[in-house]
Amino acid sequence: MITKGDKLLIIFVLMLAFIIFTGFQIYGFTDDKTYVLIEIDGKLYQKISLGENGPNLRLTIPVAHGKSIVEINRNKVRMQYSDCPDRDCVRQGWISRPGQMIVCLPNKLVLKIEGSKPAKDEVDAVSF
Amino acid sequence: MQKHSKMSFLSLLVAFGIIIHIIEDMLPVPFPIPGAKLGLANIISLLTIVFYGLKEGLIVCVLRCIIAALLAGSLSSLLYSLSGAILSTMVMAFTYHHFKDTFSLVGISILGAVTHNFVQVTMASIVLSTFGLYVYLPYLMVIGLCTGMFTGLTANFAKQNLFTFFTKTNF
Repeated sequence: MITKGDKLLIIFVLMLAFIIFTGFQIYGFTDDKTYVLIEIDGKLYQKISLGENGPNLRLTIPVAHGKSIVEINRNKVRMQYSDCPDRDCVRQGWISRPGQMIVCLPNKLVLKIEGSKPAKDEVDAVSF
Repeated sequence: MQKHSKMSFLSLLVAFGIIIHIIEDMLPVPFPIPGAKLGLANIISLLTIVFYGLKEGLIVCVLRCIIAALLAGSLSSLLYSLSGAILSTMVMAFTYHHFKDTFSLVGISILGAVTHNFVQVTMASIVLSTFGLYVYLPYLMVIGLCTGMFTGLTANFAKQNLFTFFTKTNF
């Protein structure tokens, strides 16, 4: 019932699936490039690109109440230390997705994550 | 008389397709991948192609998708199932008419299933305007291979039984 052509087709489809799979494993896809924008008092202070092979660094930023330390770990960002009375910004922890932000009100410091596309294009959920 | 019997048989096929489509939507899918499904309604498209041809196959699958979406579905599911069904029917009809000796119904069904998966992922990528969805394609292809084999075997048995029925009753 199953002809020789069928067997060849099955092998071909399996190989094609394997090739696409390994292709994605090796190259990934560059569609989800994100950046972190550091703004002080509404003005852009620094823009750093994130990603799987992004930077791993600590930035010390002079602000109104003293200094803030921003830690960037590949594709996520957090406020590690901040000279401000309540430290809500530190307690927010890591952010990594476009549209998320950490705000330190006393220091007027904003850490914003943006994608290569505007955040309003992001879809929350899709039904099938 | 021949025309009327053809029309009634085509509407029967559409009705079968709708029921299979709706019941299949109710079955839980054991894979956590969007778009993975059994594709049982493909049996009907395949049988229509075998008995009549491309034009009738397209009529049956388009009617089946629209009515099933109206009865138990949503607009987005109509978009995905219709695009996939039309293209896979075309591919299956082409293969059936030109490579009938190379591939059996199993192979043709596998081709249809993989085409359906590819079109669905492409459609979803266009709708969501992101090409990251192609990551699902290899998984969907392997699942489509298995379900395509299954539906192809089923269509093969149905075809044999229907042929003997037709010759017995001079349909």
